[in-house]
Amino acid sequence: MFAKKSFLTLLFLLVMGVIIAGCSNSGDEDTSGDSGLEPDESGEWEGQTLRVHLIGDFDMEDSTDPITGEKTEGLHVVKDEFERLYPGATVQFITMPWEGYTEKTQAMITSGEADVYQMPGIADFAPQGVIEPLQPFIDEDPEFDPDRFIDNQIEGWQVLGPDSDELQTYGLPFLGDARFIAYDKQLFEEWGVEPLSDYPTMEEVMEKAKQMTGENPVTGEQNYGIWFRGDWSSAFTLINVAEGQNGQWGTGFAWDEMEFEFNSPEMIEGLEWLLEMQEYAPSGLTSNQGSEKWLTEDNDIAIMLNQGPGDIIMTSRAQGIDDRIGIVQEFKNDDGIGGLLAGSPITIAADSDHKELAWEWLKFATSDFVQQYVFENVNAMPAIKAASEWDSYQEVQHLMDPTMEAMSTPWTPRYPWGASQPRFILTSEVEAALTGSRSAEDALDKAQQESTDWLENRN
Amino acid sequence: MVKKKQATSGGAVQMSSSMAANADVDTIKSKKRRSTFTWYLFLLPSFLGILLFMVYPIVESFRLSFYQSNGTVETFIGLRNFQYVLTSATFWNTVWNTFFIGIFQILITIPLGFIFASLINSVRFGQNFFKVVYFLPNVTSIVAAAMIFQFVLHPEMGVANYALDALGLPTSTWFSDPTTSKWGVILLSVWHWIGFVVIICLANLQAISPEMYEAARIDGASSIQQWLFITIPNMSGTFAFLLITGWIGSLQRFNEIYVLGGPSGSPARSIQTMGAFIYERGFTGFEFGIASAATYIMFVIILIFTFFNLKISKMKL
Repeated sequence: MFAKKSFLTLLFLLVMGVIIAGCSNSGDEDTSGDSGLEPDESGEWEGQTLRVHLIGDFDMEDSTDPITGEKTEGLHVVKDEFERLYPGATVQFITMPWEGYTEKTQAMITSGEADVYQMPGIADFAPQGVIEPLQPFIDEDPEFDPDRFIDNQIEGWQVLGPDSDELQTYGLPFLGDARFIAYDKQLFEEWGVEPLSDYPTMEEVMEKAKQMTGENPVTGEQNYGIWFRGDWSSAFTLINVAEGQNGQWGTGFAWDEMEFEFNSPEMIEGLEWLLEMQEYAPSGLTSNQGSEKWLTEDNDIAIMLNQGPGDIIMTSRAQGIDDRIGIVQEFKNDDGIGGLLAGSPITIAADSDHKELAWEWLKFATSDFVQQYVFENVNAMPAIKAASEWDSYQEVQHLMDPTMEAMSTPWTPRYPWGASQPRFILTSEVEAALTGSRSAEDALDKAQQESTDWLENRN
Repeated sequence: MVKKKQATSGGAVQMSSSMAANADVDTIKSKKRRSTFTWYLFLLPSFLGILLFMVYPIVESFRLSFYQSNGTVETFIGLRNFQYVLTSATFWNTVWNTFFIGIFQILITIPLGFIFASLINSVRFGQNFFKVVYFLPNVTSIVAAAMIFQFVLHPEMGVANYALDALGLPTSTWFSDPTTSKWGVILLSVWHWIGFVVIICLANLQAISPEMYEAARIDGASSIQQWLFITIPNMSGTFAFLLITGWIGSLQRFNEIYVLGGPSGSPARSIQTMGAFIYERGFTGFEFGIASAATYIMFVIILIFTFFNLKISKMKL
């Protein structure tokens, strides 16, 4: 009896051992290859440790993407390649999720935790004098080619320094991002409505949303013509609608020169348009509800305003419905410009002891090698034009081409108040209008007044 | 001579042994001292933790409340932050929201929890089962509970609207409407806190002497009379405790607000609480001075309110 038990136990352990060994990583496997560049043998980097801060779905270890189910490579690939190219240098990553990144970055900067920061809130940090201006590095580096970035990206991330009154380059575009209008081609077909044009107007969007609200003639299900977030990002949706009418949020970049135009005729017209569009949307816009079926087989929404590629491209591909999704541009002004500039630049800390190596990292992080890595492994958008040549890009070209177009035509520079109180004031007033608490005009008058008061108090 | 010597040497032995005893006494004292010192050493890490993570932030926050500060660049502006917060309609709206949600949470949860506890206390079998069932929401993370409530109170797919519709009652858009969003938060907070109230009330109920009920029964008191004149008066200490802890928790409300409506308490700041206001100004807008001033104003509000609560409930600290 004992012998039988022992045998079974041993057999179980053996089977488990085989399974674990079979499932584990050999450790020697490296499927990424390298950048094909030659190492710098100058010995200049010996003993230098570069601390790199990254925000997003970065992981040191290889893992399986929970959305696509595909194996993704960890940051060790990037680390190994940088250390191969710069012998003697060591890279240490400090990764963090998007949740609460602003305050965490502020804490890290205050205590000098990193040499290189990924910094979407660059406009708030540069005036503090905590990051290094990059123009001197650019001027002294003949290898650096600013034309490799998607148009308007470098200019879009230019900000004011602590003592400057002109916009300067403090960061290089690292992760790309964009805002666009997405739509469900299948619903358009079922309703017999022409797909959205590449640059739709407000009238076109309204007309088509209206046509597709009601009982679907093919499936008999309730469909909605449109959806947009009525809470967190509603201020940016409204600003874009105003831009589509040649309006703007206001002028200036420095706080003491800024003037808001939140209650301009274009803004009021835009908010009234959104109120009308709400008629063709499901309930729950102002609490980010109602779009739960979007990007599923049972989708019931025809047009989605103010969307980003991170939520759509790889997700729809993983669901096998990427052919069903169409992407067109947000509303643009007569110059072809409009929409929020989004993404992340990377910067060098002013108190870094290894600024030269940090500059080399900035170039490396914006090289084809790392940009392709983030696109294929981190579900993030590249910031360079060369992306269009990658095989992985070609697989989703029908979604990536309009995304790249959107990335090259945002409103620049980035809205400087985008992470400050005026954004929250405007958002709250858009919500007040959408929930019927105030008329569009009253809401925007209040937003203008409160934002101006806030600005005066700040200055 | 020999005897004398012996006697002398005996005395010496005695003396040396008494000296040794004295030395022993000293040793015990010093041992005690060392032992006390050891306990201080054990306390030191937690004391340092309190100094670093509680005392220092409190002092630093007080200092920051007099500055315009974005974390690195600071300008002394005196009392302007306090003036700004105290004259801000947005701040007073958050005070209103905080009190509105808190008042109804307490008004609903304490009586309801007490009734549930009384019912559970009356059943003969399955008391522990009911205790566990009622206490479960309280051990659930409020963040997870808030996310689930978003689905429960979903305007189109939510269970709550489905039930209301089935009963022929009007449905609501809950978190999408400023007039109903607060009630959504109240429902969530009642659901989350009621288990705690039930357990505390049960503990008190089981401590009331059975002789009192026996005497009342002999005097002809009905069950309702016993409940009204014996049970409720004997629960006053527990009610006071629940009132004070409930108020302090309500005035600090943040987590569920952040999940349900973000730092701005969407829609239209209808559920933004004082805690959310502080977070929005401090950590999304880099206005640490204003956030610090608002924190101290919130502290004073809680202090005053707790003082009144203690007076009303006649609870001794």
